[in-house]
Amino acid sequence: MTAISNGLSRAQFLRMVGGLAAGAGAAGVLAACGDGGSSGDGSATLTVVGVADEKAPLDLLTKAYTDSGAKVTFKTSYAPTDQVQTSVRTQLNGGNAPDIHVLYPGSGSAMSTGEIGKTPGLLADLSGQSWTSLIPANLKSSYSYDGKVHLFSSGLTVIGVIYNKSVFAGANVQIPKTYDEFLTACDTLKKAGKVPLALGAQTPWVTQLITYAFVASNVYRDTPDFDDQMLAGKATFLDSGWKQSMTEYMDLRDRGYFNDNPNGTTLEQSTAMVANGQAAMAVQVAPLLPAFRDAAKNKDDISMFPFPSADTADKVYTWGGANVGIGVHEKSKNKEAALKFIEFLGQQENINKWCEAVAGIPIKRDASSKVDPALESFLPLLDGGRVAPVGQRWPNAEVQPTHFSVIQELLGKKTTVDDALKKMDEVYKKDA
Amino acid sequence: MTTSTVVKAESEQAPPRPARRRARDRLGPPWFFVVPALLVYAAIVLYPSVSGIVYAFTDWSGLGDWSFVGLKNFDTLFHDEQALGALKNTLLLTVAIVVVQNAIGLALALGVHTRIKSRILLRAVFFAPVVVSPVMVAFLWKYVYNPAPDAGLNGLLGAIGLDSLRQDWLGNPSLALWSVAFMVIWQHAGYSMVIFLAGLEGVPADLHEAATIDGAGRFSRFRYITWPLLAPATTINLMLSTIGGLKLFDQIFAATNGGPGYATETLSTVLYKQAFVFGRFGYSTAVALVLALFVAAVSLVQIRYLRAREDQT
Repeated sequence: MTAISNGLSRAQFLRMVGGLAAGAGAAGVLAACGDGGSSGDGSATLTVVGVADEKAPLDLLTKAYTDSGAKVTFKTSYAPTDQVQTSVRTQLNGGNAPDIHVLYPGSGSAMSTGEIGKTPGLLADLSGQSWTSLIPANLKSSYSYDGKVHLFSSGLTVIGVIYNKSVFAGANVQIPKTYDEFLTACDTLKKAGKVPLALGAQTPWVTQLITYAFVASNVYRDTPDFDDQMLAGKATFLDSGWKQSMTEYMDLRDRGYFNDNPNGTTLEQSTAMVANGQAAMAVQVAPLLPAFRDAAKNKDDISMFPFPSADTADKVYTWGGANVGIGVHEKSKNKEAALKFIEFLGQQENINKWCEAVAGIPIKRDASSKVDPALESFLPLLDGGRVAPVGQRWPNAEVQPTHFSVIQELLGKKTTVDDALKKMDEVYKKDA
Repeated sequence: MTTSTVVKAESEQAPPRPARRRARDRLGPPWFFVVPALLVYAAIVLYPSVSGIVYAFTDWSGLGDWSFVGLKNFDTLFHDEQALGALKNTLLLTVAIVVVQNAIGLALALGVHTRIKSRILLRAVFFAPVVVSPVMVAFLWKYVYNPAPDAGLNGLLGAIGLDSLRQDWLGNPSLALWSVAFMVIWQHAGYSMVIFLAGLEGVPADLHEAATIDGAGRFSRFRYITWPLLAPATTINLMLSTIGGLKLFDQIFAATNGGPGYATETLSTVLYKQAFVFGRFGYSTAVALVLALFVAAVSLVQIRYLRAREDQT
């Protein structure tokens, strides 16, 4: 070795390498000690791991909290859902989870309140906090496991139709209030050379939105306890309004209302299609409104209305569920500091700020709540109880991905509605 | 035939193997030099892998307590339509990748193992995709496979008048698996090329000269000299591409996530989803164990067959 032959003895070389390794190790240990610890002056460092959708509100509100004089330093990081599911679950099992981490409402996904709540000692109980009294009765189960509130979520999100006003005006189309009017509008837009509905079904979660938009009216309007019936084994997807919903979904395909090749089209491509006026509408979740606006030349061109899946306007129900939120790690050394921060987030002013950042609707509105103007048409439905949180009470985490897959197969004409629903029923019955 | 006589004569002149081994023993480092590396390998790879096998016989969700369920996970696996479909996809992908990637790799190696001036540049160009992250390659090819008529590959086909060949490359369930296979082959053909090139460098030029003097044509020289002497390189290439094909995950995860439907699901994507999406670590470990045993079995059979072929040459 050149370095050795040039005057550095083997022993010196080994000492040098050993010293470097020891130095690196010590630095790592010290850095680890600094993470999430408490200092002598009573201040704490809270580690927060969220998904990308939470960056805007958490950056805003962690800063507001420290600005308010709280003796807390935040160490935040954000990642896509897949990565968070992998890393946070591993950390939870290994006992080194972040103090505060992303948590999804209800059950049925790997990082959902119900799924993590099943294992004792992982989620702190938030039931005693004053904001929990604001949770709407029909969403209590989405925030809780075994009667205890574990999820902080500032508000609701809805599925509806994001549309381009200029395209509607150009084709002389009005906002449809019933399903017949919706089909007529699609027909008119198609004749005007526009894609009526942009669908980016290559992005798996996008596949479910149209089914949910139909199911809210076709199932939950007449059977509000459908989830309870399913859990009790008294109902199936195949023998319910799900069949009508998926049939209507595929009817839209057969009428040629979607863009060509939806299975090969990504969410980003479908967003661009609506934003640039190539397509008129997309069935989407409200938190994507900012993305559509950012992609459009004129942000004011983009707005949203409830999916009119009923014969008359007064029978239209909307999908509405708690938005993605956060939970506190039960075994966190900084649990008290983390709970105080959640209490801070639960103040009406901060609920409003969080919702404004993600185009959400606060769990409780006051005079200072600013709901995105595009969502105002949803408020009468939400206030009137015409809302269904479809898909937030699955018994295991496989039902939702199976729904994604069978929709892609249906769009690719590789299966039938009956077979798709049978497959979902089979997966629903699997052990959690 | 003269050429085969020459090859045989050379192999007869080779020193007997035991003598080679004795020489290696005298000159090689002491065996205990391997101990530190072996300890690290055992701690980081062997111990976690072997201890992980236990979970294949449990109902562990990835969180909290678990209990033994005997062979239930394996019983489920062999009756699981999705896993069996994924096994079929994995085998189809592997066969396509092994055959086409190595054929292209060999053709490229023969092409750049000439005296053309740009051979160094061409070698670098063909090898370049290998050094790109598989996830980056998948994102790149998602653009190439854009189904819009005026974008990517479809745009190119349209520009040269082949509009009828435009496809929904990743969205059509009948086509998606082959689109993924092509993407993987595009990335790794350069890797096969480099290994074949190394083999070609070891083919003695005088054999070719002698065969040429004897009147052998280009194909005969390849058939009776180059191809037999490429046996070690072929063994390595077939082994690596088979193992790579059976374990394929990154490109599929980033390009299609196993879709549309289950069209590109492989055993690796199934075991990932079972563990990290569905929260069934026990079952996922059973899938991983079966996959590992399957890869090992295929590799062993393959290496025995190919080594026998090497010995014949």
